[in-house]
Amino acid sequence: MNMPIETEDLGKCYGDVRAVEHLSLRVAQGEIYAFLGLNGAGKTTTIRMLLGMIKPTTGYARVLQTKVRLGNREPWESVGYLVEDPHAYPELTVYENLEVTRRLHPGTPPKAVGQIIERMGLGAYASRRAGTLSHGNAQRLGLAKALIHDPRLLILDEPANGLDPAGIVEIRELLLELTIGQGGTVFMSSHILAEVSRLAGRIGIIHEGRLLQELGIGELEQNRRRRLLIRVRDVESAHRTLIDAGQPAEILQDGTIELKNTFSIECPDDINRILVNGGTPPTQLMVEEEELEQYFLRLVGMDGGLQNE
Amino acid sequence: MNNLSDMIWIELRKAIRSRMPLWTALGSLFMPMGVALLILLAKNPELSQKLGLISAKANLIAYSATDWPSYLVLFAEIISAGGFFFFILAISWVFGREFADGTLKDMLAVPVQRSSILLAKFTVVTAWCAAMAIIILLFGLVMGAIIQLPGGSLSIIINGITVATITVCLVIAVVLPFALFASVGRGYLLPMAVAILTLIMANMMMVVGWAEYFPWAVPMLYVQEESSLTPISYWIVIFTSLAGMISTYLWWKYADQNR
Repeated sequence: MNMPIETEDLGKCYGDVRAVEHLSLRVAQGEIYAFLGLNGAGKTTTIRMLLGMIKPTTGYARVLQTKVRLGNREPWESVGYLVEDPHAYPELTVYENLEVTRRLHPGTPPKAVGQIIERMGLGAYASRRAGTLSHGNAQRLGLAKALIHDPRLLILDEPANGLDPAGIVEIRELLLELTIGQGGTVFMSSHILAEVSRLAGRIGIIHEGRLLQELGIGELEQNRRRRLLIRVRDVESAHRTLIDAGQPAEILQDGTIELKNTFSIECPDDINRILVNGGTPPTQLMVEEEELEQYFLRLVGMDGGLQNE
Repeated sequence: MNNLSDMIWIELRKAIRSRMPLWTALGSLFMPMGVALLILLAKNPELSQKLGLISAKANLIAYSATDWPSYLVLFAEIISAGGFFFFILAISWVFGREFADGTLKDMLAVPVQRSSILLAKFTVVTAWCAAMAIIILLFGLVMGAIIQLPGGSLSIIINGITVATITVCLVIAVVLPFALFASVGRGYLLPMAVAILTLIMANMMMVVGWAEYFPWAVPMLYVQEESSLTPISYWIVIFTSLAGMISTYLWWKYADQNR
């Protein structure tokens, strides 16, 4: 299978600090791969290694079947990227900044500048100096620079940073068009699971420089914890009724009864029947799914996931 | 060296739109203007006596530039010292700004050889410094004509311009390694600090008598009438310049770029 990005035992140390270690990734053609991690997890270091900006201490990376080496011209002809905050020459206009990027990608026709300005909705700002742009528009300019030469592979570091909700939707559609519509590949980093779960086909979770888990979007749904929450007037009686019926019920601090077993989550109507028959009918019955962010924090060991409130 | 013309276009556009060449050119004009003013004051004792300290300095300058030949030598000296700082400013800006503005990363993973990008930067810096030197020189000649210096002839002026031109070439050559300091220091501060250090070192080398082997002292020595320069001195300048450019290239190619 064609793998636009492959890394093998990739690692980077700064003195005693291991920014990234033992990172082995495969990103398939046409895929949107989200690289998820908290700030300082090693996402940007990985992206810089993928782009040949920093030299790995261990292992190697291949991008578009070319082994990445510092200072090489290959394989950047077909790669677009955005690393960390979008920067541009502040005294140049949006148009001039894009013209600079166009010339840094030989073979890109002059009309590409006008086209990308239109595509990214930067028409009203084309003759404005980049230094005067809002953060959102600077981000659009950064993305325009990444896309101007019609790359086959996009490597984006937090692409939705600073964008308003409409901008985030636009970027999502743009990336989907690039992958589903044109067969391109996207590798994007983020620290917001909810954001990438709507877009990515696969998610890699990095924490303290190590890849904790790689999972498809379907697996993500399966792995999230669910629970049945029950509110009743007589908590003690209801709890006793459930225990007597063989259900592992627990009482939370706010008086809500919690059930985490599969039977309760999949058959809340049966639980309701048990409670009604026991003379403690519920006033509220709700199956709650673990928030994506809670799931993420649970994975990286910074939260207990669905905790007893 | 692919796409060199495109890279030069980029560097020129960045320089021109920043207006830095304009500000450095205007700044460098103060040198000939200041010198001409001091000579004018010295020639008019009534006016200069009213100005106290300035009068003493004006007399000193006027004493060293009483006619065209000495005035042109003074100009070459000004370029070798004052021009040096303006040239450092230009090279620090061209290289250091990519780090200060965070734009370096946009030049790293591109299908253009890094040598082309750097050669374009060095070309623009050299052209910028040469343009500043020409402005200083032309303005100096005009000022010299205005204050009506004696002893001028075409051959003297051509000789003075030749000395100044060679001085400019020597200064540009020893300034080019400052691209490395701007890159390693990731901004403007390190090259400016090293510039001050090299001037102090150059003066120390003159005191101990080794100035002809210290590249940053060679332009100053060159303009002195009884210069102690040997062919080795010029080779040292050429070597320093090339070593500076090659080191800058190697640093851009192999150093980790975290910004």
